[in-house]
Amino acid sequence: MVSEADMQNEQDRLDLLEKAQRLIESIENNDNLGTAELLSAISIDNEKRLFNEVGQLTRKLHDNLAAFSLDDQLTALTDKGIPDAKERLNYVIEMTDEAANKTLTAIEEFIPVTTEMERKSEELYKNWNKFLSRELSLAEFKVMSAEITKYLESSCKNTKFVHEKANEIVMAQGFQDLTGQVIKKVIGLVQNVEDSLVELVKIAGAQETSTTSSKTTSSKDKLEGPAVPGIVIDGAVNSQDEVDDLLSSLGF
Amino acid sequence: MKILVVDDFSTMRRIVKNLLRELGFTNLDEADDGQTAWPKLKAGGYDFLVTDWNMPGMTGIDLLRTVRANPQTANMPVLLVTAESKREQIIEAAQAGVNGYIIKPFTAATLKEKIDKIFARTSA
Repeated sequence: MVSEADMQNEQDRLDLLEKAQRLIESIENNDNLGTAELLSAISIDNEKRLFNEVGQLTRKLHDNLAAFSLDDQLTALTDKGIPDAKERLNYVIEMTDEAANKTLTAIEEFIPVTTEMERKSEELYKNWNKFLSRELSLAEFKVMSAEITKYLESSCKNTKFVHEKANEIVMAQGFQDLTGQVIKKVIGLVQNVEDSLVELVKIAGAQETSTTSSKTTSSKDKLEGPAVPGIVIDGAVNSQDEVDDLLSSLGF
Repeated sequence: MKILVVDDFSTMRRIVKNLLRELGFTNLDEADDGQTAWPKLKAGGYDFLVTDWNMPGMTGIDLLRTVRANPQTANMPVLLVTAESKREQIIEAAQAGVNGYIIKPFTAATLKEKIDKIFARTSA
């Protein structure tokens, strides 16, 4: 079947052929004026064709953009999804920064304590060996004895301190789970953007104006994941206290 | 007292296990989602379940419902430790029979408080 566009192209071809034959004739007949007129007519036809093509492309782009902006999913993605993703990724940076700093601070706090304990144990160990090989005088023994008492006392306090710091480090690792969940959300969003762009390419390719919005919302998307500052989740609590209040209102 | 810790993130399982150890619980086991947790629970020997909500395979809320639906495990105390903070979800968990609900990020003190509360109630 021959389309309207094909017929138009064939007509253009015949017109051009006719003009070209007349052009050869006028060149052969030394008809300078006729040659110039025909050359100008051919170039005007070319421009007209170009204008037509640009016009058609503009119309196509306009239609596609109109169809595109009507797509709910894409509107939601650009209005909310992308800014949310930026907030979420910024939160990931904040959380990893906070976790790294908490960990480093705890280590910086306990290392001087363990270094001091190490120094003191070495000193006491030397004196203790002297005492065992009977090289320590009574006066020296009395000094060492007092030092051992002091050391044992501080050792209880210091090991407890190191223990506390170690627990702080453990708790700081919670960032991995929370940022992991946030990043999974963003990956889902990137997937949605990709799907929408593929759809746009399909629409543009097929010159279709109908939108077929693909809803990729799964039941898992209903779960909001970690609370991210700057992103308001309707109906979410803000603290453990609110969770406790809600549960106690339910008879817990 | 044997405790099963369920979370899809291994770091969170380690954190919870470390905290439980601090609280004096040494008989600990773990699973990475409801699907791997349930056969363990069904086989018996566990006294307490600490689980996340959002996990692949079987979610924590589905695991809780399965635990409650099975006569063998129906009375097992269950603590949800999750990032999900929507009221409707907390209510959903309460209706499914959860014994405690902690939102992440949480503190060691919060975990201790909830566990103390759960055992004070279950032993009463």
